Order: sequence, then C-alpha cells, then structure tokens
Amino acid sequence: MTNDINQVQMLVMSILQIVLRVPITFAGALALALLAIPDLWWLLLAMIVVIGALGAFMTVKMGGYFGKIQHYIDEVNTIARENMMGVRVVKSFNQENAQMAKFNHASGLMETLSIKIGYAFAVMVPGFFMIANVVVGVAVLLIGNQITSHPAYLAVISSFVGYVLQILYALMNAAFIATGATRAFVSLGRIGEVLRHAPSMLFPNRAPVLNLDGGIELRNVTFTYPGDDEPVLKNISFKVQPGEMLGIVGATGSGKSTLAQLLGRLFDPDTGAILVGGHDLRELNPRSIRKAVAVVLQRSTLFSGTIASNLRQVRPDATVADMEWAAKIAQAAEFIDQLPERFDAPVDERAANFSGGQKQRLSITRGLIGQPAVLVLDDATSALDARSEKRVQEALARDLGHMTTVIIAEKISSVMHADRILVMDHGRVVGNGTHAELAATNRVYQTILDSQRNTEEVG
Amino acid sequence: MQSDFQIARHYFGHYLKPYPWQLIISVLTVAIYCGAAVYTPILLGHAVTQLTTVLAEFRAHQTVVMAPFIRTAATMITINVVAGFADCATSAILGWVAGVSTSRMRSELFAKMQRIGVSYFDRTEDGDLLARFTSDLDNIFNAMNQVFVNSFYWFGSLIGVLIMMFSSNVMMGVVTIITTPLAVLVCWFVITHASRAVNEQQRAVGALNGYINEQITGQKVIITNGLQQPSIAGFTSRNATVLQAAQRGQIWAGMLMPVMSGLMLLNTAIVIFFGSWYVLQGNMALGTGLAVVAVFVQYAQQYYQPIIQLTSVYNIIQQAVTGARRVSEVFAQPDEVRSTDGKVIDGVHHGVKLTDVHFGYLPGVEILHGINIDAPRGHMVALVGPTGSGKTTVMNLLNRFYDVDTGSITIDGTDIRALELTSLRNNVGIVLQDPQLFSGTIRDNIRFGDPDAGDAAVINAAQQARIHDYIMTLPDGYDTLITDEQSVFSAGQKQLLSIARTILTDPPVLIMDEATSNVDTVTEAQLQAAMNAVTRGRTSFLIAHRLRTIVHADEIDVLRHGTIIERGTHAELMAANGFYAQLYRDQMPELATNA
Repeated sequence: MTNDINQVQMLVMSILQIVLRVPITFAGALALALLAIPDLWWLLLAMIVVIGALGAFMTVKMGGYFGKIQHYIDEVNTIARENMMGVRVVKSFNQENAQMAKFNHASGLMETLSIKIGYAFAVMVPGFFMIANVVVGVAVLLIGNQITSHPAYLAVISSFVGYVLQILYALMNAAFIATGATRAFVSLGRIGEVLRHAPSMLFPNRAPVLNLDGGIELRNVTFTYPGDDEPVLKNISFKVQPGEMLGIVGATGSGKSTLAQLLGRLFDPDTGAILVGGHDLRELNPRSIRKAVAVVLQRSTLFSGTIASNLRQVRPDATVADMEWAAKIAQAAEFIDQLPERFDAPVDERAANFSGGQKQRLSITRGLIGQPAVLVLDDATSALDARSEKRVQEALARDLGHMTTVIIAEKISSVMHADRILVMDHGRVVGNGTHAELAATNRVYQTILDSQRNTEEVG
Repeated sequence: MQSDFQIARHYFGHYLKPYPWQLIISVLTVAIYCGAAVYTPILLGHAVTQLTTVLAEFRAHQTVVMAPFIRTAATMITINVVAGFADCATSAILGWVAGVSTSRMRSELFAKMQRIGVSYFDRTEDGDLLARFTSDLDNIFNAMNQVFVNSFYWFGSLIGVLIMMFSSNVMMGVVTIITTPLAVLVCWFVITHASRAVNEQQRAVGALNGYINEQITGQKVIITNGLQQPSIAGFTSRNATVLQAAQRGQIWAGMLMPVMSGLMLLNTAIVIFFGSWYVLQGNMALGTGLAVVAVFVQYAQQYYQPIIQLTSVYNIIQQAVTGARRVSEVFAQPDEVRSTDGKVIDGVHHGVKLTDVHFGYLPGVEILHGINIDAPRGHMVALVGPTGSGKTTVMNLLNRFYDVDTGSITIDGTDIRALELTSLRNNVGIVLQDPQLFSGTIRDNIRFGDPDAGDAAVINAAQQARIHDYIMTLPDGYDTLITDEQSVFSAGQKQLLSIARTILTDPPVLIMDEATSNVDTVTEAQLQAAMNAVTRGRTSFLIAHRLRTIVHADEIDVLRHGTIIERGTHAELMAANGFYAQLYRDQMPELATNA
C-alpha cells in the first residue's frame, strides 16, 4: 500500500512540477524559434519527430523492464525477510551459506537487468543531446549560407541555439515522465481496486438497542468463506440461554472458529440468521453489537501504547477500578500488579514485552472491560497453563454468572465444566449435551476425548 | 561520533574503491565531453565573427568567402558527434559501476546479517531491519544512479567552463562568476532548513507507516470491538502531521532549484547588460563584441548548470547519506562469536550437561539463577513451568543463540563454546513453536538442512512426521510452491513439516519448544506419533505446556522464576504431590475422574 501510494505521489509531483512547465517551455521555445528564423521550420520539425519517436520507443521498452525489475526486487526482499524472521532456523540448520547463495542469485538477476536499463539510458540520453547539438550545428551552417540574403539572422543565431536546446529539454522531460508514469499507473490501478471494492456488509444506522440480554440463537445458518467452494457451516441451529456457559469443540475445519467470527459479525451468514438478545445482528446498530458481544480471538493483537490505553479503546470511560475488576477475572491482575506502572505499563509494538500467556490474559481483560452480555473466547486460553485456564473459567462462572460465555476450544479439558457442549464436525453440530452425556453417547466426542488422553500406558 | 557525512564518505568510498580503471577512463571521457561542451560556444563565437566579416566583405566588395565559416560549422558538428560518443561511453561505464557496486552493497549487507547473532534480531523490529534492505538501499541506489554518474559531468563542465572563460576574457569571466558568493549563501540557507524539514517529514512518514501496519494487522480486533472510527481518527491525525511536514519539507527542498535557476537568469542578465554596455562604450569591435557576449551568455548558463543540477537532487543526496548511516549501523554490529580452532564432534556419547548456568538477556536482569541439568545420552528431559519461567531461555543457550553469563553447558564434557559453531549446530536440532517456512517447494523445505538429500530421505522424513499423506493429496505434491505467508498448511501441519525438516538432518541432540500448543485435535494424534518418532533414541530437551506429552520423559524439570524447583520422573513427582502434581491434575481432570 505505501509503495503504491509513493509511486502515485511521485507521479503527481512530477506531473505538477513539469507538466505545467513542459508544454509552456516547448510551445514558447518553438514559437520564438520560428519567429526568429522561419525558414528552418522543417529542421525543427525533423528534430521533434526523431526525438519524439525515440522517446516513445524508450517509454515502451522501459515500461517492460521496470515491471520485470519490480518482480526481482520482490524476490530479493522476500528472501531477506524470511531470513530475518527465520534467523533461528537458518542458523540452527547451518544454512547461512546456502541462503547467501540463494540471495546472491536473485540479486544477480536484479543487477543484470538494472545494468541493462542503465545501458539503455546511457545510449538514449546522450543520443538526444547529440541529435540536438547536431541540429544546432546544421542550423548554424544553413543560416550562415543564407547570411548574405538574410543579414538579420546574424543577430538571432545565439537565441535560436538557445531555443533549440529548450525544445530538446522539454521533449526529454516528457519522455522521462511518460516512463515513470507507466510505473505509477500500475500503482494507481492497484489503489483504485481497493477503493472501488464495495463494502460487502451494510451497517444500519439505527438507534442503538442497549441492554440486550445475552441470549443467542442461530437459525439455519450456512456460511462459506468468500473464495471457498465448500460451506464451512452447514445449516447450524442452536439456542443459548442468557447466562449459560457453552463449550464448542471439534477438529480443524469443523467450523468452530468461524462461529466465533459470525457471532461478532465479522461476516454475515449466507442463509439463516444469528440473533443476540432476540435481535438479528444485521438489524442492530453496530455499536449495540460491540457492546453486547465481545469476541476474544486466539491471537489477539494488542496495540502499542499502555495497558490502560488498550482497555480504554473498548471502553473510553473505564476507571482503574473497572480495569482491576476485569483483570482479576482474567487472571491478569497477578502480573499487572507486579509491574511498577501497573495499568500504565507500556505495551510495545506487537506486545513483544509480554509473554504469550500474558498477552492472552490481557486480551481477555479487554474483552471483559466493556461488561458485555456475551463473551466469546475463541481458543483464547491456548497459551495459558492449565491452572490459569481453570482459574479464568472459575472466575467467569463465579463472578459473571449472568454473562453468557461461549468457549471455543481444542481441548476437552477447557470445556468440560461448561453447562452444555456443542460438538462440531465438518460444519455441522453433531452433539449437544453435558460432558458426561457426550462422553457416554457421542461417537465424535469420544474420539476426540481418546485422542487427547495419553493413550500409551502410564508407567 | 562520526558525522553522517563522514560515515557516508567512508561507506561509498569502500564500495567504489575496486573500480579505479573505470573511474579513470570515465574522467577521460568526461573531459572529452566537457571539453567539447565548453568549446562549442567558442566555435559559435567564431562563427558569428566570421559571418560578420562575410557580411562586411559582401557589403564592401560584393565577394563572399564562406570557407572559414563552413570549416567552423563543420568542426562544431564533428565535435558534437565525438562528444556524443564520449558521453555515451561515460554513462555506460559509470552506470555499470553504479550497478555492480550497489549489488555488492546488497549482498554484503545480507552476508553481514547472516553473521550477526540472534540477539540483534530479537532486539530490532522486523520492519525497521527490512527497511534497511528496501528503502535505505533504494535511496542509495537512486543517489548512485542520479547523483554519482552526473557528478562527473558537473565537475568536469564546471572546471572546463572556468578554464575557457578566463583564458578567453578575464574581465568577462569575473563578471560571469560575480554572483557566486550570493549563490553559496542562498544555497546554504535553504539546505539547512530543507534538511531539517525533510528529516521531520521522514520521521512523520515512518510513524504513519508503523501505525498503518499495526492497524491492519489488528483489523479483526478493531472490527470485533467496533473501533473503526477511532482507528480512522488516529490515521487522519497522523496523516495530517505528515501533510504538514511534507509541505514544509517539499517547499524548502523544492525551493532550492528554482531559486538557483533564478540566480542563473540574473547572472545571465548581468553578463548581457555589462557586456553590451562595455562593447557599446567602444571598447571592442562590434562583431567581436557581439561574439564575446554571445559566448559568455552561454558560459553563464553552463557555469550555473552543475550547481543547479546538484541542488535539484539535494533531497536524494540527503536520503542516501541517511541510508548509508543506517546500513553502516548494521555493519557495526558484532558477529556471532565462532572459535577459530573449535572441536568438531560427531554425535553424543555420554550426555549433555548444564552446570550452574546463570543468564540474563539484559545486564542486571538475570533470568536463570543457577540451572543444573544432567542429561545422559538418549534421555528425554522435559522442562515444564509457567510462562516466563525461563524454559525458552534454556533453549536459546543450548544452541548458542545466546551464551551463558556464568556456568557452562557441555557435550561429553566439552564446553559448547569450545566447539566449532557449525559442528555444534549440526548436532543440535530444533523444532520451534512458530515454525518458519521458506519460499520454495515443499521438498526444498523438508531438506532445508541438507539441500542435497535425495527424494527417498525426504519422503521418509515426511512419513515419520505424519505429513506425507497430506502432501500426496496436493496436486503438485512435493513440488508444491510455498512461502511462509501463503502456504497450503494449517498451523498444525506446519509444525509437522518442521518436524520432518529436523528428522531429515538426524541430529543427536534435539530441542523442541512447545510444539504441541497450536495443534488441532485430530492432528495432535499425528503430532504425538511424529514427536515419538523424532525423539526416539535422541538426547532431547522438550519444553512443554501439555503435560500428557511428557509423561514418558526420563526426567522432568519444573522451572519457576528461573530455578528448578522440582525434578524427577512423572511417577516420582506425582507421588511427591507438589507443584507438578497440581499442574497435572488441573490439566487432566478426565483422567482423574475416569482413570
């Protein structure tokens, strides 16, 4: 995005700076030259045509080169980035030399083409100047031969020479801009694509409905990700009572994470409806949805700033007491209290100064701070050790009994204590009951349970 | 502390040094070109004088002697053709020098990155480091192409013009350069303001880019929390800052060239007025005078051209200087310490030992407070403990990504710092929690550690890692192209792939870090099997969250706040009923109720 915008910016800058000057200087110089020595109009025309043709040729040829070299640049940068991010892998496999060879190969291709482009310019630009200077020489010769019949020309030779050079500069500038413009138009096209992309979801501007109760209902929901062929959710229907703790388990591809995203209205279902507090999500003012449903994802991004600033993004009027309350339930109070600045502790870019488990607990805190009616945890405790995870759930059950909690998880141990568990398989709900019921009767659930148990003999 | 310009001079000097002949030849061709360029006005002057004579002769005697004039005109044309070729040669040679030297810069920067230790990468943001490759080197390339090549012409023509002017007519020469001190002052004034403004602009753009990056990465959080408006507001305000800074920067920087152009026109006017006045005062014959004025008008423009060109690319120069400094910073980083006479080992015969290891990433903040672990050959040692207890840190030490502060790590009694680094890493394999894949085919990724490995070895490794079957479902199989960002693998499958990668190199010592934490249920069974395959018979250190996966370890070390608080086998620790036992019971409730 930024590179494309830069290209367009440079195009606009060069357009403004030079497209205003170029036609004026060109027209002005041409006019003055013709006024000075009208007999040589054919010479000027010949020069303009030759240089114009060469310029056009250069623009077309260079356009192709620039496209190709951009491709090489991308390759080189990919290798560089991979080696930066995968430095541990490269070093531990002793692949430094192999990666250097790979890089130098890609870089070599770039170098070769780059030099080729340089050679092209090395011929064309001096070529332009040579043409102009030869024209000047020829003009002087011709003027001189007529000097006896046109003595007035003597005085204007100097100016004429100047005008010819001005015409040349104007033409050259135009050629260079045209060359740069092809690059910029590609960028312009890419930016236009993004801007033209109509938002696929409409958000009604209705009056906000506050105090939605935490009841959830899915009615015949089918959903396919844009670009996929197969629906990832197939005709799902279930109901959750306000205050219930619902667990959802299933293998990858079963659709459980997708459910979390639909509950937060990141996408709309293809068919069917999702209701929260009795209202279809599509009919609710977006602010109502955000207030009512908090979704905590597995890899929740925290923004650089402080812990407090992250929490206040969700709820600008959160007091320290509010933050402490949420942190306590999320089991984050334990490490926040150890930080000297507590909630004003800084969060670095990508929250690099916190461990994975701490990041997750902060994300859960953020989910709680708005006191939503529904809290959805999408595998949001995967980086916590078992004890912390259990404590979070106990705290949720104990302190927020009125809040509907939906826990989506891989491990059955994460959802065992839920009021009810949904079992998902390939986009369908194949089980609905308590842990004991499912363990006794549900085939899919039993398979999952077995695979999570240590199947080898305990010594 | 060296100034930016000193660093830049050193940097560019280093890269241009290998091409003395090319530079010398270029000087010659430039001299030819510039010589022609400055001689042409003189020829023009001659032509004008000769034509004046012709006219006078014609008027007086009705005779026309064109020969001298034609000779002059022909010479003009010829010289310009020769100059054209010299120009072409100069550009070609210098363009080549620019191309190969910038290519070398890129390669050497990459090579340097391979030598630097892991700590630099941990400390530095990816975006910032990558920028040195992309935008900083780009700025340097631009400068090389636009400034370096042209600077030869500028200096050449400047010298040439001065020589021609003063050998022709000293007084007119003085008049022509009379505005120089003014020009220098103006230049200095504008440049000082411009560099300040451009720096501000670059800083603002950097901040904006960082913000955009963050917001786009976290877009799901923004959407789910309804933060679109604040996000846009944050962008708008930063964008406004960029706008202001850019306007200021561009105005100052953009002002330079037009101002200098204006000075040039002023200069030309001075030459015309003074020259004409002088001639009209009767100090020179009309014809000669006309010629002299014509010539010096040309010189006035030629004199200022290089200065104007230089100021018009001032921006580029500034960015290149900054770029050179940033790239030089990377080169100033220390290399990983490799012993020159390190021992080479081939496998582990007795075991791996950590003895009283103390370590901290930052001075004064110790993370490990005296760790002792004795792992006999073939044993599996599991490290468990809460996040932040130091488990990943231990792994960073075993492979010498970082070195211990005090204490030692030994293989078969030899301190790992005494081993040849390549040999150490050949013998210690890793499987990371977040596996990084590389652009290339699946086959390339599996044999990453041994690019010459045959297909049989690759397939065998994939089978042991339980990923072979999935690969065979792909249309291109092992030849499928992947990159780390767009691959056909889920998170769990990436981990299987990284296990295959390690299995292929068959290391005697293995370190696995939280490999099972990102996996989905079905693949977990496969992963368990894969892990069993990769740990069998190896001396392994397993860092785990999920206790069920390390129940069979020969030794379990429980880490808390940088020390080992419990040690034993699973049975022993359960019997001891301590921290580990509690951790286990929390995670295995179904086993507790059903066992």
